Amino acid sequence: MRAYTQGLRWLRTTAYNVLAIGLGILAGLLVVVYAGGNLGVALSSLFLNPIKLAGGGQQILVRFVLFYTMGMGVGLALKAGLWNIGAQGQLLVGMVMVFVVYGFLAFLPWPVLYIVMILGAALGGLLWIAVPTILRVKFGANEIVVTILLNVVAVNFAFFMLSGPIKSAGTELGFPQSVTLPAKFQIPRIVSSVPITYAVPATIAMGIILYLVVERTPFRVRANTVGESHETAKYAGISIPRMMAITMLTAGALAGLAGATYIMGFRYELDIGSFSTNYGLVAIICALVGRKHMLGIGFASFFFAYLTIGAESMALSANVTTYVVFAMEGIMMFGILLGNYLTERKYAV
Amino acid sequence: MTVALSDVLIGVFSTTLTLSPFYLFAGMGEVVSEQSGVANMGLEGIMLMSLMTTFVVDYMTGNPWVALLAAIGVAGVIGAFFAFAAIRLRVDQIASGLAIYLIGLGLSFVIFNTVYPSGLTPNYIPLPPLMTNWNTVPRALGIIFLKQNVMAYASLVLVVVTAFFLTRTSLGLRVKAVGENPKAADNMGVNVNKVRFLATLFAALTFGVAGFYFAGNFVSGFQTDIIAGRGFIVLAMIYFANWKPYRVMFAALSFNIVYAAQSEFISISGFGVASFSTLFNMLPYVFLLALIPVFGRKARAPKFLLKPYKKG
Repeated sequence: MRAYTQGLRWLRTTAYNVLAIGLGILAGLLVVVYAGGNLGVALSSLFLNPIKLAGGGQQILVRFVLFYTMGMGVGLALKAGLWNIGAQGQLLVGMVMVFVVYGFLAFLPWPVLYIVMILGAALGGLLWIAVPTILRVKFGANEIVVTILLNVVAVNFAFFMLSGPIKSAGTELGFPQSVTLPAKFQIPRIVSSVPITYAVPATIAMGIILYLVVERTPFRVRANTVGESHETAKYAGISIPRMMAITMLTAGALAGLAGATYIMGFRYELDIGSFSTNYGLVAIICALVGRKHMLGIGFASFFFAYLTIGAESMALSANVTTYVVFAMEGIMMFGILLGNYLTERKYAV
Repeated sequence: MTVALSDVLIGVFSTTLTLSPFYLFAGMGEVVSEQSGVANMGLEGIMLMSLMTTFVVDYMTGNPWVALLAAIGVAGVIGAFFAFAAIRLRVDQIASGLAIYLIGLGLSFVIFNTVYPSGLTPNYIPLPPLMTNWNTVPRALGIIFLKQNVMAYASLVLVVVTAFFLTRTSLGLRVKAVGENPKAADNMGVNVNKVRFLATLFAALTFGVAGFYFAGNFVSGFQTDIIAGRGFIVLAMIYFANWKPYRVMFAALSFNIVYAAQSEFISISGFGVASFSTLFNMLPYVFLLALIPVFGRKARAPKFLLKPYKKG
């Protein structure tokens, strides 16, 4: 009976999520049609372009890796009741760190430097989130406020690094750029003719490992207990500061790592175009849609990777600004939350 | 090149007084709202919408006062929507706030881009300064005080009014009661969700004013993501201010003094062209962060902040 109710509940939640996402898509379509776009063209760009266009599949996988890596971190912190709104900032610092290591530790031999670049990015994200973590654990400072604050600082920091320490010698004034990573520092493709790198299977493997470690051990219950009630956690003898530190620091390291895979697997260089992407907020949506579950976040990430690419292509098909995608994401997120409310109300005891 | 110290000080204080009202308007609204138990994380999205509205209406009518009304109206509609979801439907406040932010971030530019696809706009007509010929009076008086528009002073009045409201009026005390202990307030006959709704709506209206104030005083035209996180900073200020209006004013003024000092320093030193300027731009935020161990230790949020209330 209980399994039956849970199944129904799951169906209901899924139905509401689909409805919410449909509503977001509808809003985007309305804007496109209002701007004079053709409905048929818009629909086909939204659903077919991501796989039809050259490089579309690659784009989807790049975003999947980004959203999944960051989303797992956000979800992990959420399990312990902590909001990491700062994934965007940690991602930026991770991207910057790739070039800091590449530029300043260039004396290291190739394979070592390659690995240190990836680890450096993760370390950058970890250090960036260490500030809110310490302030939260030691001073009880609200992690939402501090992670938001650090997002703004991260943009300034990245801009500073980009216009000085990691700037490429030849770039123009006012539009600073880093050097382009040479081929041996790029994440290699699995098959040389297909632009899919080893970052994709590595991310999926990491997702499965985190699933086994987080969801299949008592860790899940411990984290959830801290997230639900500090009183209960204390009573059960769970160390709250330790749980907070573990989940937050892992979240930061994951977001930093996402920066490394993005740069070393796709962009190979850094410019200010990467600063205002809001991937960090999409990662939060993925974590919520994936219900904080390490595998669920993976499916949500793939879905949103596909959707955002399609939505951007749809906007461009009618010459509408791609900012419409943010509005669509917002509407979807709001709809998903309303759906949760409706489900909870139905099954409330 | 030598620069007179008095010029620097005049510059710093003038900038501080020009920029602070943005944070004060939004800060007072958010203080009242959070005291009642509802945090609106979507404030930057609401501000972007009302800032966009300000520009569009101002371009079309040439009258900043009409633009102000329109900005408040737009903010009120979004705020009422958020309040309904967060209070009546008990939706997660943080997540729905972020959703509002995303909607505002996207929609504001989509609308602006639809109205002005080429980006070519008429000139923005700002509110007049307090005294039109402010440069005829002594410099310090003119540049610091009389060049500001009336809204800058309205924000200071709002701080006094908000502080008075929260501590001396019965509705203000009810606002605090529903944030501290909604159950007890309910037992005393206070309509918890109605008080929360009013507080949240008031906050949204102040975000509208803040968005309006941003035009002209911070930027002269609309662009994507133009508020760039400054709306979110208000949340941090309130935290350091321990949810007290006068301390929010203190936080806003000191943040902006640091901001004004570093930007004055950059323009004098000529570092503006070098990469150092961005390093200095971080200073005000780092300054806020450094305040946490000092003031954050004693910060105590309203007990039922972020917690929806269900009767019975």
